[in-house]
Amino acid sequence: MHSQFRILGLFADFDGAFAAIADIRRFKAPGVKIDNVTLKSPIEHPEIEEVLGERPVHIRGWAFIGATFGLIGSFVFFAGAQANFLAQYRGGKAIITVATNIVLSYEMLILFGVLFTLAGFVVGARLMRKKGALYDTAISVDQIGILIEDLNADTLQTTRALFHSHGVLDILEEEIT
Amino acid sequence: MSDPVHVKDINEDIAWAKINADVLRSMKNPRLGYWIAIAVSIAALSVGVAGEVYQYNVGMGPAGLNTSHMWDLYISSFVFWIGMSHSGTLLSAILHIVHADWRKPIYRFAEAMTTFSLLTAGLFPILHLGRVWNMHWVVPYFSDRGIWPNFTSPLMWDAFAITTYLISSALFLFVGMIPDLAICRDNAASGWRLRLYTFLALGWRGDDRQWRNFRVTYLVIACFLIPLAVSVHSIVAMDFSMSIMPGWHVTTFPPYFVAGALYSGCAAIISLFLLLRYLMKFEEYMTFPILDKVCKLTFVIAMVWSYLNLIEFASVWYGHDIPAKEVLIAKASGPYSPFFWGMIAFGMVLPFSLLSKKIRRSLLLLFVISLLLNTGMWLERWMIVTPTLSLGFHPFAWNTMWPGWVEWGIELGSFGWFGLLFLIFVKVFPSVSMYEVKEMVYHRKHVVFDDVEAEIAKLYPIVDPKARGAAQTPDLGRP
Amino acid sequence: MSSLFGNFFANWDRYRKSIEDPGYRDYENMWAMAIDLGSCIGCNACSTACYAENNLATVGEDRFLARQSMGWMRVERYWDEPSLGASDPDSQERGGSFLPMMCQQCNAAPCEPVCPVGATYNNEGGLNAQIYNRCIGSRYCANNCPYRVRYFNFYSYDKDAWPAPLNRQLNPDISVRDKGVMEKCTFCIQRIRAAKDDAAREGRALRDGDVTTACQQTCPTQAIVFGDLQDPESRVRKAWDAHQVRLGTTEQKKTNPALRGYRVFEELNTESCVIYLERVRDTDV
Repeated sequence: MHSQFRILGLFADFDGAFAAIADIRRFKAPGVKIDNVTLKSPIEHPEIEEVLGERPVHIRGWAFIGATFGLIGSFVFFAGAQANFLAQYRGGKAIITVATNIVLSYEMLILFGVLFTLAGFVVGARLMRKKGALYDTAISVDQIGILIEDLNADTLQTTRALFHSHGVLDILEEEIT
Repeated sequence: MSDPVHVKDINEDIAWAKINADVLRSMKNPRLGYWIAIAVSIAALSVGVAGEVYQYNVGMGPAGLNTSHMWDLYISSFVFWIGMSHSGTLLSAILHIVHADWRKPIYRFAEAMTTFSLLTAGLFPILHLGRVWNMHWVVPYFSDRGIWPNFTSPLMWDAFAITTYLISSALFLFVGMIPDLAICRDNAASGWRLRLYTFLALGWRGDDRQWRNFRVTYLVIACFLIPLAVSVHSIVAMDFSMSIMPGWHVTTFPPYFVAGALYSGCAAIISLFLLLRYLMKFEEYMTFPILDKVCKLTFVIAMVWSYLNLIEFASVWYGHDIPAKEVLIAKASGPYSPFFWGMIAFGMVLPFSLLSKKIRRSLLLLFVISLLLNTGMWLERWMIVTPTLSLGFHPFAWNTMWPGWVEWGIELGSFGWFGLLFLIFVKVFPSVSMYEVKEMVYHRKHVVFDDVEAEIAKLYPIVDPKARGAAQTPDLGRP
Repeated sequence: MSSLFGNFFANWDRYRKSIEDPGYRDYENMWAMAIDLGSCIGCNACSTACYAENNLATVGEDRFLARQSMGWMRVERYWDEPSLGASDPDSQERGGSFLPMMCQQCNAAPCEPVCPVGATYNNEGGLNAQIYNRCIGSRYCANNCPYRVRYFNFYSYDKDAWPAPLNRQLNPDISVRDKGVMEKCTFCIQRIRAAKDDAAREGRALRDGDVTTACQQTCPTQAIVFGDLQDPESRVRKAWDAHQVRLGTTEQKKTNPALRGYRVFEELNTESCVIYLERVRDTDV
């Protein structure tokens, strides 16, 4: 059975890290797929797509679904509650007050929009997962990490060499059996 | 005091590691001033708790309310604290969307202010209930008796709006803090801090996937929060404007309240800015250029508020609705007139002092001015609630009132409560956004990097979104 | 399509209009009052009777001066007509006038839509009813009442107002309200209920005069007339008709000086159920 490896290289700045990723794109490290590359950084680089390619983000869909649910669901809920509140004579007022319910549904639109957005964030960003991956606390300070997964012994070797050629500061490796 | 205005928001040469170190240091080893502030807050809070306990047992009588004045300081303080909460949304959501980068070092504490002032504001409608133990009846839950709350009541809308605003802004604060919580987690040795930050950081590793989702999430929630903030204070205004009371039944109230909220929020930002700068030694992050911009923003919003205030007076005056006019005249010349003119002086006249560059640079003076601005805004809310109730349609019920000791005590307690929450926050959570300050520094420091990007783009046209479909190679493993 | 919306709006409009109909839909009764200020001598007997009938707490002098009193019925005094001699110290009473003021039982009551828990509502008798058990004491209703006739229990009065033997004189037909609850004139709803029960037991319809409110019963000059507006033969209906006041109008055309009826703050369109007949003064005669 072949062992699997993952490797984390730490770089001083975005320049070195980007150059390393660019080399992976240029097939300088045969067998390493760009999809297995993860960039870890203390801030978000605004042009990160330039090297990693576009990766989809579905947050807006979550937000839209949440907002729609909040709007329609709460309106139905409020109208239903009012329609079932027949114990009272509403002296001179409508039973189902549309204008009022719009005000309340508007608030619920936002509440559910925000809640769904956050749920989408947790799912989309793969937060709250126990699965340990290589990580170094220097990443939260000022270093840029490149994590490459799904490597075998050969590609691990080439990757290591590639990292060194771009002035890597530190390398962490992990074997997964 | 030598750093010049109009040059740069923060020092470009500041190292990322130093940012971490500075902010993390601010969370430890409180100075003496911090402990004094904590003690004062707890003392004030105790007075409020004592007042509430007394009121709970005795009834609403000691609050000084009477048959004409059923609402007083509780409701005006509620409006005041809701108003305070708008500053955080302004700084973090509105200025985020317009890419005003100077907000970055100071938005975190403004956002915390939002959450905590909402927690304070939310107390007042509860405390002012005659039967506070039945407050859950405003929640629309299924009951065997088929009883629901009255959805037409503006107080009901309040309950919904404030709950939504509190949850949303707390989540917004939390989401924006996740990368910083990861920093705290990485630097916490052990103990409750480690456990807390590990839990709250949600396993943040700074992955590109996480950053990408983070950016969109932050933007989306910001977009939700802006209309929410406007609607919340409009609804608070509707508590008054939906009633038929002369002096309250004013259609300009919703925008007027929103402007007033932003105004008092901005003034509070200045106060807390200076306080934190002193207590936490944040001179490098809470700098004069940023303070300058906040002051200018405050002035602009003060002018908007003043305009809407004058519009309200004018529309009452020229509308010539006799009872409403009576209320206006009574405010300006009746027993509450010192407070009314105090509101005018502090709220409308004092902000002109912010035009002076000298004042904008003098910390102590600015601190006093910002507190006075908020005093004016506090008086404004009181002037909306109480003198209006003193008068009304029915002349027989006209009278005046002065709040009782319970009301003053709870009022004081609310400041203690807010102060305590805020002071705990700044020692438990980073009150300067570390990752965003890094972004500010990065943009200035790495101007050279643009060339490298261009070079990469030239070398690898495959990543150009337009060219991708045609030039894709299977080896890249892209779907 | 346009006809669909046309119908929708027409129906909507009809629905809104029906609200303002004097018939008031399917109400069983429309309890109303007519108070003749010409007869009112300002003796406060009505107020006292109300205290006794409705278990109103006597709050004591201090709280009364702090305007925390609980009298549902108050006789308001005004000296605001100098032409009638208000400034003349010898005959001040000539310029004085009295206004017995209690809940006007509005049909479009400003207090109702603002209550967050629906503790106040229009009941089947056209009354603006208050459910003490449901009230959470937000006091919004009192703020929105233009007549200022809603009273709040600022304290628990049970021990203060009725020390030991006095609690035996409490009316068993009506509850004693605890602190934190809003209350107001009910048109003696307990008497209305009792009269209805009696009528039902005897198998007859409710007659005019079956129900008398405490204030009406006590008024020495019979200034207060109470009854059901739905009953065309009732005294109160006749009084309303005689002075051409009716529900659904916001203004009375006073063409004839003999027409003295008006409702307080009619311009607010609260549709109140109490009319006052203007005082006839000797200078008018």
